[in-house]
Order: sequence, then C-alpha cells, then structure tokens
Amino acid sequence: MSEFEKLKIVTKYELLKQFRRRRLYAVVAVVIAVVVSILAGLPLLGKGYHEFGPGVDDVTAMAGMLSISATIAAIGVVFFAGDAIAGEFEKKTGYILFPNPVRRTTMVIGKYLACYAAIALIILLVYGIVCTSLLGIYGQIPIEVGGSLALSLLFAGSVLSLTFFFSSISKGAMGATVMTLAFVLIIIATIDGVLWMAGQPSWFLLSRAGDATVMVYPGFKAMMAEMAGTYGIQVGAIEYNMGLRTAAMTAYLAVCLLPSIWIAKRREMLKFTRGAI
Amino acid sequence: MRESIVIEGLSKYYNGFLALDNLSLKIRKNEDVALLGPNGAGKTTTLKLLCGLLRPSSGAAYINGINVVEERERAVSKVGAILETPEFYPFLTPEETLSYLGRLRGMRGRRLGRRIMEVIELVRLEEWSKVKIEKFSRGMKQRLAIAQALLHDPPILILDEPALGLDPRGMMEVREIFKEARKRKTVLLASHLLTEVAQVCDKVAIIDHGQLRVYDSIAHLKRKYRSFERAYLKLTRAAI
Repeated sequence: MSEFEKLKIVTKYELLKQFRRRRLYAVVAVVIAVVVSILAGLPLLGKGYHEFGPGVDDVTAMAGMLSISATIAAIGVVFFAGDAIAGEFEKKTGYILFPNPVRRTTMVIGKYLACYAAIALIILLVYGIVCTSLLGIYGQIPIEVGGSLALSLLFAGSVLSLTFFFSSISKGAMGATVMTLAFVLIIIATIDGVLWMAGQPSWFLLSRAGDATVMVYPGFKAMMAEMAGTYGIQVGAIEYNMGLRTAAMTAYLAVCLLPSIWIAKRREMLKFTRGAI
Repeated sequence: MRESIVIEGLSKYYNGFLALDNLSLKIRKNEDVALLGPNGAGKTTTLKLLCGLLRPSSGAAYINGINVVEERERAVSKVGAILETPEFYPFLTPEETLSYLGRLRGMRGRRLGRRIMEVIELVRLEEWSKVKIEKFSRGMKQRLAIAQALLHDPPILILDEPALGLDPRGMMEVREIFKEARKRKTVLLASHLLTEVAQVCDKVAIIDHGQLRVYDSIAHLKRKYRSFERAYLKLTRAAI
C-alpha cells in the first residue's frame, strides 16, 4: 500500500475524530455568535446598514466587518489542533498508532489535512452566511468576497501550521494551545505595538498578514481610515500590499509546518518515571 | 530466516541514565519468550525499541531480518503490539478504531469487517463494539488493545503486560487467547508476573538494571534453582 493511500486513511479517520469533538462545534457557535452580533447589533445600537460614513462603500464595509468572523474561526483552529501531535504522547494514543507501518510524516500531514478540512468547512460556512446577509441587506455581493475567502483559507493554514509547531514541541495539548494563543494574541500584538510606535512596517507579523482578509475590501479600508482619523491615528503608513501579506502567510504555513513534521518524526515515546523504563 | 527477533548489543540512555545495557537476544520463529524482571529493569524500553518508538543509544534490533531503526515501517508490518497502558481515541468506537488500524495495515472490505468481528468476539467486546471508547473501563481498553494486536493476524506478537488492568476472569481469558496464539506465532512478552510467564512462555530472559541475567528455558531454570520463583529471586536480587 502506498503512503498516499495511508495518508488518505489517516486524514479520513482524523476528520471523523474532529467531527465527534465538541470543540469544533464550540468554534462554530462562537463564529455564528459574532456574525449575529454584527448583524443584529448595528440596528439595535441605532446604526443603519447604509450609513457607515461619507466616502465609505457600505456593502464592502459590511462585508469586511462580517469577514472578521472568518479570522476568528481561523484562530479557533488552535482549540482542536493543539493536541494533534502532543496528544499522541501525552494521552498515550501513540502507543496504538505509532507501531503501525505508517511514516510519522504521513501521520502528521494526515492530521494537518483533517484539521484544515474542518476549519475550511467552518470558514466556508461563514462566507455562506456573509454572502446571504449581504444579498439580503444590499441585494449584491462584492467581488472582493472571493479574495477574502481565499485569504481566510490561507490564514487558517498559517495558524494551523503554527499550532502544529507548538504541538510538536509541547509535552501536552494544553501547553500547545496556550503557547499558540499567547504567541498570536499577546507576543505578536506586543511586537506589533512596538513596531507601530517606532513607525516601522509590521505586515510580516501573522496577525497583520491575516488582516488582509478584511483589508481586501476597499470600503472596510476606508471605514478603518475614517475611524482611525477620529482617534488621531496616522494610518497612511500602514502597508496595504496584499502580495506581501499573502507571502507572509504562506511563509508562516511552510516555515512552521516543516519543523513540526521533523520534530514529530524524531520524538520518542518516553515516560519519565523509573517504573516505566 | 530462523530468527524472528534479533537484538544485538542494544543500549538505551535516558538523559544519562542507562536503562538498557548492551542487551543481546535471539528469538527463533514460533518461540515464546518472556522478558521478566522487576519494575525499571528495562523490559518496556526493550519492547519500545523493537517497535521503533525509541531510538537506541547503541546496538541494533531486527525483526525478520529487517533493521528496526533503518526500516521501521517494514519491520513492524508483521508485528502486533501492546505497549505500556495504551489509550484510544475516546470519540471513536472499537469498530471504528479497528477499522482505522486495519486499513493502515492494508486490510479492507469484507475481510476487514469479518476480522474485526472475530477479534471483538475473541476479547468479548461484542456488546460494546459500537459504543464510544470514552465510556470504557481500563480493563475494556486492555481487551481492545489485545484485539488490535491480533487484528492483522501477525506472525510476531510483542506484548507488554497484556493482562494489566484486567479482573481475574479477564486475566484467565487473555492467557487462553495467548496460549492459543503461541501455537503459530512468535511471542515476546514482558511481565513481572511469574504465573503469567510460566503459563504462556517456554523460555525466559530475566533482566535486571538493564542487563540480561539469564536466557534459558523455564523448565531448565526450575530444575537448576528448584523452582521458578527461586530462580527469579536469585537472579534479580529484588522482590517480586
């Protein structure tokens, strides 16, 4: 049997495993809650769907706001991929899986594909809701939605690779999840803040690169510029080059996934107690 | 190939601690050998090295003449193993788990389905075959571990404390399963239960502090030391 056939089997059963977990549905629930809060929140707060401001395209501004939920979904992958590698060692499931005639590389890639397929389905669901909402409210769907969807899928792949990297070096799933979230939400945000204060570009940071999913909408960009102007923030220096951001996300995807495969291949099934040796 | 398993000067350090010290063993086809020793003797380390879950610090191990370090996937393809206290994905059922593992070993279709039913029946999990493993007790998981080791009808079985977590009835049933299996398989069983070893195996390799103390038939050791228990105590200098 070829490794490709084994890869298909690993992916299939890992995907089945993901569909049986509550975490996947928790991410779906959070994302739907975000979409609903945007759609219901604006009218509830007395703001109409057609009054985002002068010079702002309402349709693309709204599309950008709704697409934020896809970015949240992409970050949600951390919650069900954190244990992909670390869990096999921590929960001892590796004692059943690893003695099989399958390369660890195949197992890691299969797990990656399964997690990616799960998050991609959620992102597609989000964009389905976005398109339906835009069609219902404005009677049109901006062409940029397609670009935003593609960038969201790339961003999810980058976050997933980062999660796999931390999962490969962590003893446990919780550690991998916390480290990834801390990296994305605290460390990168701190570096971003420092770079912004120093007037330096930050497009290469994962979170900034991920902003491309909403910055692709010109209306949203204009709305953000207007809001930033209100707070006296100089937004002219922000790098809007989508190519650079796309390249940055692709780099995160590859640079984090390859070491995670290499580390997982070399990792031994150890138990650090005298009784087990 | 007369030898199913060959271990040549195998050593393993854990952060400077020598867990296995230059172990050499040869197990011929259809032999049943027990690795016997006190806790921390190096039994589990030996089995993990044989299954490619650890890398040796020095030495080599071969299964059917295939180097486990250099060609792990090919070497373990004819092996069924139970290592440590294995866990399963809690969200899957025994049928799904066995289907997954069977497919990874190239089994499919009706043959796989039939074999899954056979091994589930063998370990008496028929009523639980469609229940998620998250509801299983330790003993039930151990039964499932036995089922997955036998699923592809491997010619070599590597078993680490296979009766661990089972109740007395379960222990007896498992011994019967392996007594039957040993007739046409090579069995390497790690245990510190003398009764289990004496019932399932003909030969024993007693190891202590990572070193091989003796490798002989149980019958010969009984004659030489007047009982198997005395042989164990004399050779390991440790309590049972």
